[in-house]
Amino acid sequence: MKTIEFAWVYALLVALFFPGMAFAQTDPGVRSTTGVNAGQPLASVTANANDLAFFQAGLEQFNEHQTVKGDNPGLGPRFNLDSCGACHSQPAPGGTSPASLIFPNVGSNPQSQVIASGLVSGSTNTIPFFVVANGPVREARFPFFFNANGTANINAPNGGVEDLFTVTGRADAGACTLQQPSFTAARAANNIIFRIPTPTFGTGLMANIDDSTLLANHTTQATNRLGIGGTFNHNGNDGTISRYGWKAQNKSLMIFAGEAYNVEMGISNELFTQDRPLPGEDQLGSGLPANCLNLAGTGYPEDITHSDGTDAHTVTSDTALFSVFMQFLDQPTPSATVPGGAASISRGRALFSAVGCAVCHTPSLTTQPSHLTAGLGDATANLFSDIEIHHMGATLADNVSQGGAGGDQFRTAPLWGLGQRIFFLHDGRATDLLAAIEAHEGNGGEANIVEAIFDQLLTPGQQQDMLNFLRSL
Amino acid sequence: MNMHRRISRCLVLLGFSISLLARAQGPPQSGGDFSNNPQPNALPSGVILLKGAWSSASDSVTPLPEGGRVAGSVYSNQYLGLTYALSRDWTEKYSGPPPSANGYYVLAQIRPAEKFKGTSRGIILIAAQDLFFTLTPAGNALELTNYSKDALSPDYKVEQPPALVRIGSHSFVRFDYVSPVAELHWHVLATQIRCHMVQFVFTSRDTKLMESLIQEMGKMTLPAEAGPISGRGGGEVPVCIKDYAQGENVLERIDPVIAERHFNPVPVRIIIDKEGKVKHVHFLSAFPDQAKAITDALFQWRFRPYLRDGRRVEVETGVMFGRAPRRPTSSSAEAVNE
Repeated sequence: MKTIEFAWVYALLVALFFPGMAFAQTDPGVRSTTGVNAGQPLASVTANANDLAFFQAGLEQFNEHQTVKGDNPGLGPRFNLDSCGACHSQPAPGGTSPASLIFPNVGSNPQSQVIASGLVSGSTNTIPFFVVANGPVREARFPFFFNANGTANINAPNGGVEDLFTVTGRADAGACTLQQPSFTAARAANNIIFRIPTPTFGTGLMANIDDSTLLANHTTQATNRLGIGGTFNHNGNDGTISRYGWKAQNKSLMIFAGEAYNVEMGISNELFTQDRPLPGEDQLGSGLPANCLNLAGTGYPEDITHSDGTDAHTVTSDTALFSVFMQFLDQPTPSATVPGGAASISRGRALFSAVGCAVCHTPSLTTQPSHLTAGLGDATANLFSDIEIHHMGATLADNVSQGGAGGDQFRTAPLWGLGQRIFFLHDGRATDLLAAIEAHEGNGGEANIVEAIFDQLLTPGQQQDMLNFLRSL
Repeated sequence: MNMHRRISRCLVLLGFSISLLARAQGPPQSGGDFSNNPQPNALPSGVILLKGAWSSASDSVTPLPEGGRVAGSVYSNQYLGLTYALSRDWTEKYSGPPPSANGYYVLAQIRPAEKFKGTSRGIILIAAQDLFFTLTPAGNALELTNYSKDALSPDYKVEQPPALVRIGSHSFVRFDYVSPVAELHWHVLATQIRCHMVQFVFTSRDTKLMESLIQEMGKMTLPAEAGPISGRGGGEVPVCIKDYAQGENVLERIDPVIAERHFNPVPVRIIIDKEGKVKHVHFLSAFPDQAKAITDALFQWRFRPYLRDGRRVEVETGVMFGRAPRRPTSSSAEAVNE
C-alpha cells in the first residue's frame, strides 16, 4: 500500500517539476478506432450506376493477380509484384504499403512472401535484403550505372527501376533465363535507393486542379519568411505541371497506371508498348533475350482495349480501368476527434499552419469543373500539398532525377490519409511521425527552418497537438 | 598472293577475336545492372551528386549572393558586403538550398548550438530576395515588406507594422508579427543591397531574447548603399538596374540555342562592363545545358554603355530566359529602374 502511495506522489512530483518528461510527445500511431477511412468511391460515383460499375470493374482489376500466361497474362519477365492492389493496400485498395500487425491488419509485406506463395521460383530468385515481412513494399533504383569494377559511375546517371524478381523458373515462363540485379553489390557501392507506393486516394481531385490554381498558390507562398522556395515539375510533352509520383514526374493517372503496369508488373500496354528490360539492359546492353519476349503468347501490347468486348468494362483495357478506379476514389475522411480529442486536433491544425508546414503542405486547393463526375468538379481537395517539388537536402536526397526534379527534389507528399499510413517518406525509412519530421532537415533543404521551429521552439504539448492533428488526417 | 591474302584474313579474324574478348572482359554485358564485385568503393552518403536546375556562374572569382559562409562565428557575404557576428554559442547547423527560380536565397540559418546554456531559444534566418525576379509587385525592400504585411496569413497578428528603424548606423524596415496559437513571435528586419532585399528573420517565444539579438545587429557591417529603399549598387560594385537588357540598350543580341526543353524559368544576373560587354553571368537556377547555351549567347551581346554623371560605369541587371513565372502587375514594380 505504501509503495503504491509513494508511486503516486513520485508521479505527481515528476508531472509538476518536469512537465517535458511527464508529457513527452509521441506519435499516436495508425488510427484504428474510427474504421477504415479511405477507399470509397466519390458520392457522385456511387449515385450513378454506370460510374459505379466502372469503379467496381476498376477495383476488381486493381486487385487481380497477373500470371505470365493464362487468363490474366503478361506478367514479367521482370516485376516487383503481380497486382496493383498487393502494394497499394493500406488501409484499403488504392492505398500504400500494408502490415500484418497494424490496423487494419491487411497482411505482411507481400514482396516478402513471393517465394512462399509460388509467385517466383526460390531456386532462381532470392528475396532482396531490403524486403522484410514487417517492412514496406519497395522498388529499388540504382542512381548510377556501375563501372566494370563495381563502383558507381557518377558520370552515368541511371535511376530507373531495377525490378526485384524474374519469371525464370516458373512453369509458365518457358526457357526465359534472367538474373536479378546485383542488389547486394549495389548496397556495397552505396548505389541503391528505394521507393514505396504512393497512396492514390483523392488522386482524381489532384488531376482536376488547374495549373493556374497551383501557380497562384505558388505566388501566394512566395513571401514566406521560412527559407522555402519550390518549383514545379513539368510534363515533357506539353510543358504543363505534372503531379504524380514521388517527384511529380507523371502527368496523368493514365500515364501513372500505364507506367506502373509496365515497370512494376512487366505488362506492356497501350501507353508503354514493349516489355521492359532493366535500365542497363536497355540503354547499354542488348535488351531482353529473345526467349523472354512474348511470354504470354499474345503479341504486344499485352494489355489492350478489347474490340470484342460486350460492355464498357470488358471493352476497356486494364490500364484504363486502373485509371478510372483511381480517378473515382474519394479523398480520405479525417477524424474530428481521434486521436487526442477535438480541441487538440484543432490546435494542431492551427499550429501546422502557424509554424509554416502549410507553406508546402497546402491544406486545400479547389478543382475545376469536371466532365467525369460531379464530385470531382469545383470541389475542395484537402490534399495538404502544393504539388511543387522542393529541395529536401542531403538527408533525403536519392540522387535520382526524374523530369525536372533533381537528386534532392521531391514533390510535397500529400498528407491526406496520413492517419492510417504505416510507412513514411519516399523510401519508407520511417514509421514514426517524429522521425519523419526530423528527416525534413539537412544540408541544402528548404524545410530546415520549419523543422527547427517544430523541434526547438514548440512545447511538447504543442508538438503533441500537431502529431494528433496529423494522425487525424 | 593467295598466301598473303590468307595471312591477312587470319590477322583480321585474330583482331576481331581479340576485340570480342576485350569486350567480354570490359563493362558488364548488361551495361550496369549487375556487378560481381562484393567490395567496391562506396559512394559517400548524404551528398547531392545529381542536381537538377541549380545555381552556377561563368567564373569562379566574381562573388555571388549565395557565396556567403559562416566561419569563426561570423557570417560573411562578399557579394553583399555584409558581415554578421553570431551570438555566443549560436551556430549554423545546416546550409540552405540553392536559390529559387524566383530569386529567393537562404543565406544562413542560425540557431543555438548544442552547448548553448541559455533558457530561451530562437532561430535566425538570413535570406535575400532578388528584386529583379520577385513574384511580388514590389520594387524595393520597403515595398516588399509592406506587401508581406498585407499578405500576412490569418494565422498571424501584426505586432508592429513595417516601419523604418535604425540599429547602430544601419537603416532597416522592421516588421513584427506573432502567432497567438504557437505563442511565437517573428521580428523581420530588411534592407536592400545591390537590388536584393536582405532579410533578418528572428523567431522565438522570448521577445527579450529577440530584442537583444536585434541590438547586436548594430555591430554588423553593411555597405554604404544599404537601406530600405536605396541599395542599388554603385561605388565599388556595379550599379543595378532592372530590365536594362531591353530595348535600345541592347545593341546586339544573339539568342541561345537550347536543344532540350525543360519548361523552367532561368533567371540570370549579368554584369555588363564599361564597354558594354557581358563580363559575368550568374544563373540563379538553370540546368547545365541551359547555362552553357545561354552563357555562350550572352557573351556575344553588346549593350549601350551606361553613363552615370557622364562617366561610364558597370551595370548589373537581370534577364529571364526559359519560361517566365507569372507575376502580379503593379505600378510599383519598376521602382528599381533608374
